[in-house]
Amino acid sequence: MQPTEFFELTAESPANKAMQSRLFETGNEKELLSASAAVLQDLGFQVDDIVREVGMVRAVKERSAREHGQDISHFFVALFTLGYVGIPVDLQQKITAVLVARPTDYAGMRSEVRVTFYRVVWKGEGHFERNQIPPGEQRMEMIYDPVIYQQFFAKLSKAVFLEAHTL
Amino acid sequence: MRDGITIGKMLVLAGLLLMQGCAAPQPSPDLLAPTEAQTKLRSFQSRTFDVADRKVAMRGVIAALQDLGFIIERANEPLGLVTAARFAEPDNRSVVGVTVTVRPQADGRTMVRANAIFNNTPIDDPKVYQNFFATLARSLFINKEE
Repeated sequence: MQPTEFFELTAESPANKAMQSRLFETGNEKELLSASAAVLQDLGFQVDDIVREVGMVRAVKERSAREHGQDISHFFVALFTLGYVGIPVDLQQKITAVLVARPTDYAGMRSEVRVTFYRVVWKGEGHFERNQIPPGEQRMEMIYDPVIYQQFFAKLSKAVFLEAHTL
Repeated sequence: MRDGITIGKMLVLAGLLLMQGCAAPQPSPDLLAPTEAQTKLRSFQSRTFDVADRKVAMRGVIAALQDLGFIIERANEPLGLVTAARFAEPDNRSVVGVTVTVRPQADGRTMVRANAIFNNTPIDDPKVYQNFFATLARSLFINKEE
């Protein structure tokens, strides 16, 4: 990616916006924010920061990033190679949600909620050819799985008793 | 005796060298003076918009940054400050950071200033800031229209 492209809209931008945003028929931003914080809490997030004046909520959760079956495959790889080959495992991940609610009209009857999830995964704690790999190496990524966003907005819609309209 | 003098001289010399090494380089007196490049950079990084309310301008900045795929890290309304970052996808190890300040002007308009860095290196390409302000203008305009 060229530096000049950092602030350019891409072909995927509108699709990402649609995935991450919903419209609610309410002007009560306070209610939307507190419901969003409550939904994030229900999903296991810790609310990190709220800036009411600009309608922002930031929440974090830390979880193991081990995938199902990962340990089993590592065991067999280690067994067949007599312990000479090990695969470093993903150990921990931190998922962050940043949510912004804002009015979309002057009458203040509609609000848009946009949420972005991303995660940081610590890679490490394992063996590679008998060398210990210390934890610390990390990788970051945006979460683009539409199901996660759909689930979040379904819960938020229930919490505010309002339908979540797509853009 | 002769050896003693030589060693003594060498010790004095070594001491002088050590003392020289201890002296910190003096910062030049114009360290904080603005250079022409900095003045130019500031003009690339700032733009004034026809928005009177700082909150409206800040929300526009946040919406524009989100549209551009940035993650809002911090926002402070009283200071008009927004900090955001994004990964330089598909390279997930490089990070683009941006700090935006929003300041109301005396003439009822609002001045927006952006500073962007790429992995701790300041970005001084005017094109980058032009792109940002183009998206911001669109975001503020849409807000106004609706």
